[in-house]
Amino acid sequence: MAFGKTADSRRRQGLVLLLSPVTLLLGVFFLIPLGIMIVYSFLEPGLYGGVEWNWYPYNYGRIIGWPLNDYETFEPIYLSIFLGSVKIALLTVLVSLLICYPAAFWVSRMSEPRKSFVLFLITLPFFANLLVRIYAWLLLLRPSGFINMALESLGLIAQPLDMLFSSFAVIVGMVYIFTPFMFLPIYANVEKLDFSLVRASQDLGAPPVQTFLRVILPLTVPGIAGGSIIVFIPALGNFIVPAFLGGSKVQMTGNLIERSFLQSRDWPFGAALSLLIMGSVVIIVMFQVIRSTRQNRGAA
Amino acid sequence: MRKFLPSFKLLSGLLNVYGLVFLTFLYMPLGLIVLYSFNANPINMAVWTGFTFDWYATIFGGAAVETTFDAAFTESPERIFEVVKNSFLVAFTAASIATIVGTATAIAIARYNFITKRFYQALLLLPMLIPDIVLGISLLIFFVGIGFELGLMTIIVGHVTFLSSYVFVVVSARLAGMDTTLEQASADLGAGPVTTFRRVTLPQIMPGVVGGFLLAFIISLDDVVITYFIAGVGSQTLPLFILAMMRRGIRPQITALAVLILLFSFVVATVGLLLRNRKP
Repeated sequence: MAFGKTADSRRRQGLVLLLSPVTLLLGVFFLIPLGIMIVYSFLEPGLYGGVEWNWYPYNYGRIIGWPLNDYETFEPIYLSIFLGSVKIALLTVLVSLLICYPAAFWVSRMSEPRKSFVLFLITLPFFANLLVRIYAWLLLLRPSGFINMALESLGLIAQPLDMLFSSFAVIVGMVYIFTPFMFLPIYANVEKLDFSLVRASQDLGAPPVQTFLRVILPLTVPGIAGGSIIVFIPALGNFIVPAFLGGSKVQMTGNLIERSFLQSRDWPFGAALSLLIMGSVVIIVMFQVIRSTRQNRGAA
Repeated sequence: MRKFLPSFKLLSGLLNVYGLVFLTFLYMPLGLIVLYSFNANPINMAVWTGFTFDWYATIFGGAAVETTFDAAFTESPERIFEVVKNSFLVAFTAASIATIVGTATAIAIARYNFITKRFYQALLLLPMLIPDIVLGISLLIFFVGIGFELGLMTIIVGHVTFLSSYVFVVVSARLAGMDTTLEQASADLGAGPVTTFRRVTLPQIMPGVVGGFLLAFIISLDDVVITYFIAGVGSQTLPLFILAMMRRGIRPQITALAVLILLFSFVVATVGLLLRNRKP
């Protein structure tokens, strides 16, 4: 082709033009800030907020157990809050999985246009304001709230149940908020499920429980893994839900981070806590990538 | 799952019942606040004492505030108007920029082959994957570090970084389902890349672009966590305003405001989702 070279270089110019905005945007306002945050987490906190440019690994030390004993001591509370957050996030994943798994099968069996409509109904609450959804649960769970009023009028309880400001309330709130996140990956998986395998298992005489455990469940592992990850990550770093539904009784790492940035103004410590969360996220995502590549290789 | 289990009818019936419980779980809390917002009882919203529009009227300055106790929870309509204006300004600007960036990237990824493609794909997923709080504080450190004053500008920039990813995903889905032969035909007939884009590609991906814009708009309008860290003193948005109100306590006025926000989000999101789902 006579125009080969010029057409090629024009195409290249086009590509550069298309990619430069995103490169600039995510480079300057995403990767560089993340890099600075990592650097900050190894710097000494200044006396009046801000940082001193000294190597200072004790931000992590305070959390994990080698503090600089002159100033500060090892507070096991930080580690226990972090582990508590992991526990709450895991429970959130488990509960939303149990809720969404059957629902995915329910929707996958529908025929159009009903299916599209129900999918729309399930996706829509994702776009409701986070605070509005938390507020709704405040109204439901508080001592004079809807659930207590209903139970009392039915004569099931004499005293209002103390549901608000507990891990229970935090988990309920997060499950509610993250339900669409869990539902959609599982649904996408179930939708593609090859039911002839299920039928084969039936024909070969497997009881339903065995069919479920040995055919359906393994085939839906990718959806379960995907949904679990995208629920676990925002649940682990959450601070708005525990702030309102957990009150002062339930502290999560997110609340610690918020306080070290906006109240105690110990930014390096807050950055270290954030990196602890980031680190957990990276480990989980890598685990998922390895798992899915191994599975793909197995299939090929 | 059709006709293979002997107990299929029973299972199917159970699933249908479960599905209704599932939808109730999703919508009951939202339905309840709509109901409560019309309840005249000023003390406990869970006890119905009569229908009223008063809580909506107070938002717009239409009803007098009766008690001094209530006065502490009532903001002036001017103040509400100001935060709503801030929110819309941020959401419109951020969503517009994100739509351009996200669409350009989606076209580059879908139509070109280059070595760093996988890197870009991973990079675009990251802002959606990492926790909001990490995004928020890293931007806070960055802006304060370079001496950029926190305000509406920083909120807009912060929103664009993660909204671009959402637009990218929506537009990419549209591009993936598109027939490329028309683009080839246009090029073969001598149209330049710009003409081909404007006359062939863009009209076809338009529903995806508009859908992506609307979803980005509503996500920006609703964002609490990232905005919370990078908003300046004089740049409160509507969610931050509600956050401050909620910290003071539960009042019917908040419920009414919450319902209005809910309604608006649902209308915009519905249009966005419809456009996204329309088959090419």
